[in-house]
Amino acid sequence: MHNVLKTIINKLFSAWKIADEVARDKAVETIETELEELNHIFGILVLGSFIGMPSPPMQISLDLMPLMEKELLLMLKKVDTANEPLAQLFSVFDIG
Amino acid sequence: MIKPLNLFFMGKGGVGKSTSSALYSVYLAEKGYKVLMVSLDPAHNQSDIFNKSFSDKPMKVTNAFSVIEVDQEKWIKAYLKEIQQQINRTYSYLTAFNLENYFNVIKHSPGLEEYALILAFNHIQNSFSNYDYLIFDMAPTALSLKFFNLPVLSLIWIEQLLALRQEIIKKREIITKIKLIKKEFERDKVLNKINEMKNEFQTLKNIFENNNETKIQLVLNPDQLSFAESMRIFEGLKDINIHVNQIVYNKKQMNSAGNELNKALSEIPMINFPYSETPLIGYDILMQYLKNNDNLVEKQLDRILMAS
Repeated sequence: MHNVLKTIINKLFSAWKIADEVARDKAVETIETELEELNHIFGILVLGSFIGMPSPPMQISLDLMPLMEKELLLMLKKVDTANEPLAQLFSVFDIG
Repeated sequence: MIKPLNLFFMGKGGVGKSTSSALYSVYLAEKGYKVLMVSLDPAHNQSDIFNKSFSDKPMKVTNAFSVIEVDQEKWIKAYLKEIQQQINRTYSYLTAFNLENYFNVIKHSPGLEEYALILAFNHIQNSFSNYDYLIFDMAPTALSLKFFNLPVLSLIWIEQLLALRQEIIKKREIITKIKLIKKEFERDKVLNKINEMKNEFQTLKNIFENNNETKIQLVLNPDQLSFAESMRIFEGLKDINIHVNQIVYNKKQMNSAGNELNKALSEIPMINFPYSETPLIGYDILMQYLKNNDNLVEKQLDRILMAS
């Protein structure tokens, strides 16, 4: 009896843990996308000269470049999804 | 320790910036001050004036007076090499970007020229603080104005990037808090770098704006073109809160009227360097020129430089 109770409690606990994790993930999903967008804007602002955008004085871009590998990768990734911005937006908000 | 005073010589091409800065240097060195003349003009003239070859290390003309010629190309190359090495250290996907080729193009980018001058200026400020005067023979007007403008322009960008970065960090902290229930966050390297740049450019801006550290000499000739460009330099510097401290009226003929000068310029303390029949080449001839006409030039320099 004791063991059965223990198993049930454990199962309930792990179910709660998973639910908690899912809820947390759901809660930040939109903020995460927003963060990615902000990172992307930051990348474009600093490294805009790579894609023909107006850019800050060259030395600002160059000084920050060694620290911005992630943003550069994001910019490359964005090139792939640039054709379907609506599809990307719908998937963020779970539409369709 | 007292910091050296920076004297910048600006003006239209060919008005005599190099000769005027050489005359100031000789005058100050003869007064017993330790003077370092720095040629920031890519077309260096000082070697012709002093009949000596100079390099990017200080070379003595007399015991109290040395000259250095800034090698712009060298500064750009060293700077880009440093950035490239940092990238090689920190990036793991370097080959995917093909950045190596990009760097060969970057060295021709507009904007790096004036940054090379800023790097050289910082280096000189830090390495030669044992001098009393640092005399800068500046590049042609466009490049010189860009040089003085760079800290202001960079600060505008830096403020915007700083605000955006802070927003990114705030959002990232929210996510970390909710997802990982973490209380401690790693320090953002990009934010640190932006703050570092902000301090650096703010310091430079303060040096340029501070009359006790920097004095701008505007060299002009008695002709309309030189007056017009001088006015543009005056206005351009005023826009970024830098003031012209002296007008050096070079090659002034005895009978040329001074009232052609714009009112704004005529209110600035002025030194007249009369036209010289003999070419002003060599330390002794420059010294002789200061003594000519009953110490005419030296007395003016006494009045303006020693008073301040």
